[in-house]
Amino acid sequence: MRRTALGALGVATLALTACGGGGDGDDAALDYWLWDANQLPAYQQCVSDFTADTGIDVEVTQMGWDDYWSSVTNGFVADTAPDVFTNHLSRYPEFVANGQLLALDDLAATAAVDTSIYNEGLADLWIAEDGQRYGLPKDWDTIALFYNEQLLDDAGYTAGDLADLTWNPDDGGTYEEAIAHLSVDANGIRGDEDGFDKNNVAVYGLGLNGAGSGQGQTEWSYLTGTTGWAHTDENPWGTHYNYDDPDFQASMDWFAALADKGFMPKLETTVGASMADTFAAGKSVLNANGSWMIGQYTGYDDVEVGIAPTPTGPSGERASMFNGLADSVYAGTDHPEEAAQLVAYLGSADCQDVVAEAAVVFPAITASAEKAAAAYDAQGVDVSPFTTHVEEGSTFLFPITAHASQIDGIMAPAMDAVVSGKAPASSLTGANDQVNALFE
Amino acid sequence: MPLTRSPHRSYDRPAKRINWRDVVPWVLLLIAIAVSVLPFYWVLRTSLSMNSSLAANATSLLPVGFNFGAFERVFGLQSTQESIAQGGSGADINFWVYLRNSVVFASITTAGAVFFSAMAAYAFSRLRWKGRNVVFSAFLATMMVPPIFTALPNFLLIKDLGLLNTMLGMVLPFIFMTPFAVFFLRQFFMNMSREVEEAAMLDGAKHFCIFFQIILPNAAAPIATLVLLTFIQQWNEYFWPLLVGNSADVRVLTVGLGVFKSQSPQGAPDWSGLMAATLISALPVLTLFMIFGKKIVNSIGFSGVK
Repeated sequence: MRRTALGALGVATLALTACGGGGDGDDAALDYWLWDANQLPAYQQCVSDFTADTGIDVEVTQMGWDDYWSSVTNGFVADTAPDVFTNHLSRYPEFVANGQLLALDDLAATAAVDTSIYNEGLADLWIAEDGQRYGLPKDWDTIALFYNEQLLDDAGYTAGDLADLTWNPDDGGTYEEAIAHLSVDANGIRGDEDGFDKNNVAVYGLGLNGAGSGQGQTEWSYLTGTTGWAHTDENPWGTHYNYDDPDFQASMDWFAALADKGFMPKLETTVGASMADTFAAGKSVLNANGSWMIGQYTGYDDVEVGIAPTPTGPSGERASMFNGLADSVYAGTDHPEEAAQLVAYLGSADCQDVVAEAAVVFPAITASAEKAAAAYDAQGVDVSPFTTHVEEGSTFLFPITAHASQIDGIMAPAMDAVVSGKAPASSLTGANDQVNALFE
Repeated sequence: MPLTRSPHRSYDRPAKRINWRDVVPWVLLLIAIAVSVLPFYWVLRTSLSMNSSLAANATSLLPVGFNFGAFERVFGLQSTQESIAQGGSGADINFWVYLRNSVVFASITTAGAVFFSAMAAYAFSRLRWKGRNVVFSAFLATMMVPPIFTALPNFLLIKDLGLLNTMLGMVLPFIFMTPFAVFFLRQFFMNMSREVEEAAMLDGAKHFCIFFQIILPNAAAPIATLVLLTFIQQWNEYFWPLLVGNSADVRVLTVGLGVFKSQSPQGAPDWSGLMAATLISALPVLTLFMIFGKKIVNSIGFSGVK
């Protein structure tokens, strides 16, 4: 018995030693992380090309969005963060404030990049308050309306009708008329007809992803952006948020009322559900979503999907948040110059043309973005509703400020309360005061 | 028992009446079985479906576009292009590596925790020493501390020891003992007969010998139960392995599945791939149940007739 027990301990010790790998890389290999699995094949290709060019080995790790940020921030603390990683505008100001990123101007390979190749404004988003650059852009995204062609047709609407929709926060304009007409209850009565049972809705006119926290990127910012309202006093690096604006609050009251009228799912039904899957199941007709979701929406079998531009608002124009990702270099990397070479390569036309051909996102480089549009076209997907925003200049930038995670902590529950109908939009004034107190 | 038939009718063969007292439990049992088995069926049905067709046929009871593609994805037999064509996300699960890590992690922590807990339980139940009950009470009190409170100090300690992203760092907080296991085994040890132990002592046996040759063999059933409970718990452990063992070579299945589930924000998961992987990752625990199931029932019976 004794021998067995000791033997078992011995085996355990061996197993521990055998599996205790994963130390910090003494070899010259770089770690590169990204979260979007759809983009993985394209970037894997880029990385192989890069290795073939430079002889620098790169290991690519893909990790889903939910765990990505906790892993990255854990990595900063534990010194196990990747040398290069895909970064988001909402996160990087805090990383810069904590000294966790290297300034790319200080590194030879990235300092030499001519940023005029990128779509206007994208590169500037990655210059922090200290005037230094912390990311080289790789892609951009805008918002448009995905729609179910069959259900739209059943309602007697055409794609042309959708392209001409207008919206205002008072009565919702033709946009709300469309949403109401596209909603159908269990008895087949439409939302704009008498007898519509708002508590027993079979098909919602508009899908809901969530309350949108403080940004509302895909939820409501494409509407509020058409009223002349902006999230912050200036962007980037604003120091005052505007959630107390009465016009903004009117927009949010209108938005929340859609759920109350039975034209949009209730907020609680969106928890743990995918808006896109619900759409494919025929439970909603219109879905406002980002261009990174094109592949998801057009990938469903048995559903014909069309894309329409977002409605025109009181300003007479459409609006879309303009967001973009970039690659950044971790401050604790053992190989800063090699990491910079990788960042520069991933943001170059050589790599972005590969990404463009995969038709998964719009590359930040103007010429490559056109190739991506052509690649989508070849797949039979007309992506002009997304590119229109850029061509017409109807984009506004993702709000970049300090204290992003604290703001999220305040605004996510506040917006949930409003969109779920538990609080009026005027309650956002209190949340706004809390947010602005962070900057004092 | 009251008579149900009057004597003068004993010649008749009365029509068999449905005894509701018998039927109701059966119906309830069948409903309970259906409720507990249906989710497993749904996992199987989803894993055998074509991912891109699932959403449009959400209520179909049978697999939609029957194929084994999801299992091929899980085992890494499918190229990224094929995977995307079938509605996969392009992400893959390094299944065999994660499975190996899960088995190693759960086995080591279970073996260690049960063994050391048994030693502690022995000390708390069979040895007489000053302050035993006070120490035991303090020990039990640690059961009240939610694990989340110890996560951060443990993380910093493991980091300072340079054990992040190592299997050793992952197993250390679990390997020594858990208050529950000590408490559980102590209850069994306390009820063992003292005479056998005293007889052994008269024969010159020391504590070491008594522990290994008398106590442990006699507690085989509760130990088997504990092994199973601990193994399942460790198999499902998510937070600590996520925190400490995030690098791909020590990542366990739960973390691997969690990472696989969430892709781009708002993107829908590769449901069929996820369900296929979940199904396969549940198999080891099911197998354990089949092996140890009888022992568990015995051990519960044993505790009942004591």
